[in-house]
Parts: sequence; structure tokens; C-alpha cells
Amino acid sequence: MTTQDLNPPSRRRRRRGTAAPYIFLTPAVLLYVCFLLVPIVYSIYLSFQGLRLVSGGAFGHRQSTFIGLENYATALTDAEFLGGFRRLAIYGIIAVPLTLGLALLFALLLDLGSARAKRFSRTAIFIPYAVPGVVASLMWGFMYLPATSPFSYITEKFGWGTIPFLQNPEIFSSVANIAIWSGVGFNMIILYTSLRGIPAYIMDSARIDGANEWQIATQIKIPLVAPALVLTGLFSLIGCLQLYGEPTTLAPMTSTITQTWVPLMTIYRDAFTLDDLPLAAASSVVLALGTLVVSVILLRLTQKRAFGDD
Amino acid sequence: MRSKMMAAVTVVAVGALALAACSGGGSTAGGSAGAGTSAAPITLTYWAWGTAQEPMVAAWNKSHPDIQVKHTDAGGATDSSAKLLTATRAGNAPDASVVEYQTLPAMIVGNAAADITKYVSAAAKGSFTNAVWGLVTFNGAIYGVPQDVGPMAFVYNKARLDALGVPVPTTWAEFATAAKKVHIADPNAYLTTFDPSQFGGFAGLAQQAGAKWWSVKGKTWTVDIDGPESIAVANYWQGLLDNGAIKSEPLLTPQWNQELNNGKILSWPSALWAPGVIYGVAPKMASQWAMAPLPQWTPGDSAVGNQGGSAVVVTTSSKHPKEAAEFAAWINSSQEGADVQLTTGQYPASKLGQAAAEKSAPPKLMPQQTDFWPLASKIAANTIPSINWGPDVNVASSAFQDAMAKAIANHTPLSAALIQVQKVVVADMKKTGFTVTN
Repeated sequence: MTTQDLNPPSRRRRRRGTAAPYIFLTPAVLLYVCFLLVPIVYSIYLSFQGLRLVSGGAFGHRQSTFIGLENYATALTDAEFLGGFRRLAIYGIIAVPLTLGLALLFALLLDLGSARAKRFSRTAIFIPYAVPGVVASLMWGFMYLPATSPFSYITEKFGWGTIPFLQNPEIFSSVANIAIWSGVGFNMIILYTSLRGIPAYIMDSARIDGANEWQIATQIKIPLVAPALVLTGLFSLIGCLQLYGEPTTLAPMTSTITQTWVPLMTIYRDAFTLDDLPLAAASSVVLALGTLVVSVILLRLTQKRAFGDD
Repeated sequence: MRSKMMAAVTVVAVGALALAACSGGGSTAGGSAGAGTSAAPITLTYWAWGTAQEPMVAAWNKSHPDIQVKHTDAGGATDSSAKLLTATRAGNAPDASVVEYQTLPAMIVGNAAADITKYVSAAAKGSFTNAVWGLVTFNGAIYGVPQDVGPMAFVYNKARLDALGVPVPTTWAEFATAAKKVHIADPNAYLTTFDPSQFGGFAGLAQQAGAKWWSVKGKTWTVDIDGPESIAVANYWQGLLDNGAIKSEPLLTPQWNQELNNGKILSWPSALWAPGVIYGVAPKMASQWAMAPLPQWTPGDSAVGNQGGSAVVVTTSSKHPKEAAEFAAWINSSQEGADVQLTTGQYPASKLGQAAAEKSAPPKLMPQQTDFWPLASKIAANTIPSINWGPDVNVASSAFQDAMAKAIANHTPLSAALIQVQKVVVADMKKTGFTVTN
């Protein structure tokens, strides 16, 4: 009786309802196709091309021709491109753990009930993230150059000479410092939000059982924010692989940063300075696949730990 | 009901924004607007960097109401030429653009610079010497109108050198002695710095020593970047670096500018456009600096190479090549154009400009040097007819920067870096399909 009454209107409601999701999805799908799918497919197509001389003569024109996997071979055997990954590894070992570690530390400290000036601290820690990358790098560049550095000014006054921020191997920690300074705030907010999501009764019962704040932090809070940690870890790793802005902005200030210091700089140089877009496309595909592989490995390794027994 | 309406409105708003962003992101230098009607003024787009450009374009726009030019600063020499190649491939390059002489062959091979031989009037032809036209002529075709030239000269901090009792060097041997003397007198001061990224400067010095980095005979190229003359120049600077008489540092960084202002860097062997650049970063040093001829290898010689200098090219994407060529010829050879060039520190390529130069006031950096311009024309008259630049100067420049920086960081010989550059350049030319002899 009730089902008969409800059937026609519910069928009508369902049919009207089925169009709405697709309408809402359309802008996102359009943007995704326009700005993600089409360029990716075009890049892959481009990576199989090469610019070769067609018309003869000493000043002949270069045209795009199909050259198969030659670009991939060049990219994978280019010492500079691979060297860039080595430098990324050194940078990553400094930047990623420090960013996440500091973000976690700040988030835990802010979550303590006894913390003072919480809103001010949150804002103060987050503000560096709001500074655009190029501005931050330029500012830090000024602070690293011996002639304009306030730190070197102090050490010179003490008679210890200037601090070699922009020499090898200090350059790695200097570049990492800019990224850490910018990134801690963002990651801290994510971890802090995740901490706030932990039900208070867990902490209360732990306190009743006699745990102190340190034990609560290490044995309750950190394991419970593990999903957020994995998320921020993944973002940091991907951000590390895509390092470009900081070294490029610092490059004019020091000869230590070459044009191929990190893979993305090599790709930029190939694409625009050497005017070899196909080679850059091939290198980009290699970098993208590498990033994908690393992400998948990271997620697989932390799956059970972080996401429980889903 | 209301939340569905809100949701729908939001979707439409976001969609509209997205579509607007999609279409608006397109062209920063969209091609000419000419809709075919000759009544409406034609608009040309022009990419150029430097302080001389805006006034030159303004002067043209005032005197040519039927052809209006829109100027955009697309970045310095390297940035601008990289963008030009990309924009050409996208089909929306500007009508005209400034291109350095050394990048011109790459623009021709990349199909960005158009052949304008038929658009150059006899009057325009007569405005420049044959030697200057040689800078933009390849295989008998003209690919641009010369704007300024950069004969190399020695720009130095006269006040400090006099105070330290160091005479102005006239030969490179004297330069080495002077460098040592400066550094001993003041351990924090250096006669000059060696910037591993200054490909153009080093090329000019090698040219002065007699090297010909690229030469072409018929269809075959010869690349000689690591010839004995260039190696000798590299070893010379190596010697100065090794005994600490000069140091290696990137140019025009905040650090370099500060050291310049504090009298810790005392000269810049570069070109006639250098006073303008130095005045830009060290205006307080006006009247302390002076210009002298570049040191020579053999006493009594006077030939120097070119560093920089650029021409205005008409691009292959342009729909109004005739008007663009007219514009290029006018700003580079008219009285108004020359006046602007001189006040902003460019050394004009045109005969008219160089004649006017002799009568104008010295640059703001050295108002006390009243013989600046006569000396400049003498130097300009003694420039070695330009080296043939090859079709892949950008590859050479990039390889040079990295190889030199690495050599200095690892204390390996600069000459080895030159050999590396030679290898990379020849390999790249062969890969593209050019015939190279070596």
C-alpha cells in the first residue's frame, strides 16, 4: 500500500536527482580534461618528437620529426639530469624530516591544554607559508649573501669571518631552510586539525590512568594522527621532487647552483634555453613516473600502519 | 529548495570564472590587430628590454599615428629570446623584437626571425656601415635592423685606482700586475671579478685574442671554441684566479653591487654600455669612474671584440612585416631614436647616432670624462668584424655557464671547461643535422 503510493513520485524524484551530480561534476571534469589530461597526452606525444634540420644549408630550419624513444634514452643517460636526483635526495633528507618533525612538534605543543598565546602562535607559524616562494627565496638570498647577511655581519664582528651559506655543501641546508621555513606552517595546520579531531575522552582516560603529557603525546596522539602524517609526508615528498622555485631564484646569486641543479631546472633549461621541448617532455614524463612510483611505495608501506585495517 | 538554488548559482558562477580564466590566459603578446581595413591604425607589438625602449616607442607613436606600436618588456636577453622561440611555435609572437646579435642565428634556424631584405629601403641601408650590416646578414639575407653595438672597453673606478697608486693597464700583462697590486694594497679589494656565467664577455675576449668560435663555408660549419687563442685567454684568467688577484663571483647580485659601491670591485672589462648599467646600481659613484680602451695582448694594438649589442628583428609570425621593418629602421636610425639611445646609455649602431654621440654629454657615471664619446667612436671604429655566431649559441652559453662554474668550484682548469663546451656544441649541432667539420 505504502510502496504503491510512493513509487511514482520516488521514481520521478530519482530521475530528477540523477542529472544533478553530473551537472556539478562538469566544471571540474572540464578543467581536469583541459588543464591536466590534454597537456599530459600532448607531452607524451611531444616526447617522441625531435627537432631536426630539414631544409638544407648552413641556416636551414628545424622541424619536428618523429624520433621514437631517443629522447628517453638521452634523458635517462644524462649525467646532469640524474645528478639532479642525487642532489634532490640530499636536499630531501634534510628538508622532509625537519619540516614534518617541526610541524608535528608545534602542533603537539599548541594542542597542550596549558599552551599560552595559541592564536598568535598559530598565525605566526603560518605566516611564512603566505609569503610567495620567489619573495621568500629572494629575501633569504639577501640573508645568505655574505655582503648583505645579518648573520655574517654578527659573525664578522666576532672575528669568525662570514658564514658560507651559498657554498657547497652548505647550499643544501640553505635551500632546505627556505622550504622548511615556508612549509612548516601549512603542515602544522593539517596536523593540528587532525589532533583536534581526537576525542577528548581518550586523553582524559589516559590522564586518569596516570600518563603524563609526554606519554600521551608519543603513545596516543602521534599514532592517532598517523593518517595526517602520511598525508603531509606524501605532500612533502612530492613537493621535494618538484623543487624548482627556490634554487632558480637563488641561482643568479651564486655559481654553486648550476642550471641543472635539480631535475625540474634541467627540464626548464631543455625546454626554453636549449629550445628542445621534446627532450624536456620526455624528462617530465620520466620525473612524473618516478614521482608516481615513489608515492605508491610510500602509501603501500604505510597503509596498514596509518589507515588501520581497512 | 533554497540550498539547491544556492548550489546551482555557485556552479554557474564557478563555471563562468573558469571559462573566463581559460580564455583570458591566452596571449600576453597577441599579434597585430589589423582587421584588414587600411583606415584603422595598425597596431604592432614589440618586445624589448632596457630603459631606452619606452621613449623610442613613444617618439615613433607620436610621429606615426597610422602605425601604433605597443611595447612589452619580455625580460632580459636570455629570457626574451627563449620566450620568442616558444611564442613563435605557438604562432603568437610579437611583430618585432629586440634580439642580441649572438642569438640571431638561433632565431633564424628556429624560424623566428624573418628575412626582411626586401623591406629595407635604400635610405635605411645607408644609415648603417657595411660592417654593422654584417652583424645581421646571413647567406646574403638581412634578418634584422641593428640597434646598438657593444664594442668592448675598460670601465674602472678611477678614484680608487689613483688612491692606491695603480696605473691604468694598457696591456693584459699590465692588467695582471695591477690586479696583484690592488689586492696587496687592500686585501678586501679586487681589480675585477670573473663571472662564470658571462658567456658573451668571454667570447668577446676570445675574439680579441683572434679566435673564431663559429665559421661557415658553404654548408659546413667549423666550431673552434677550444682553439689555442681561447685556451690562452682561459689560462690567463686562471692564473689571476689562482693567485687570488681576482675572485669569482656572479655579476650584478646584491653582493656584487654592494662591493662595487664600497670600492671593493674596481673595474668591469665589458663594453660601452657598461656605464649605464653601473650607474643603475651605484649612482653615488658618479664622477669616480672612467672609461679607457680595453687592455691588449700586444702593446700598440687597438682591436677589440663586441660584447652584446642587439638588433630589432621582424618575426615570422608578424602579419605586417613591412610596417614592422619600417618601425625597426626608424627607431634605430632616426634623430629622435638616437637621442634616446644616447641619454639612456646605448651606443647607437647607426651612423647618425654615432655622429651625434660625439657631440653629446658624457654618461651620468663619468661626467668628468669629457672625451668619453670621441674615445668611444675611436674604439668602435676598431672593432673586429663580428665572429660568426653559430646556430646553437644558446647551447654553448648554457654549457659554458655550467662548465665554468664547476671548474671554479672544483679548482679544475678553465681550459678543460672550454674543451667540454666545444664537445657539447659540436655534438648538439651534429644531432640537429648540421654538417660540422670537426
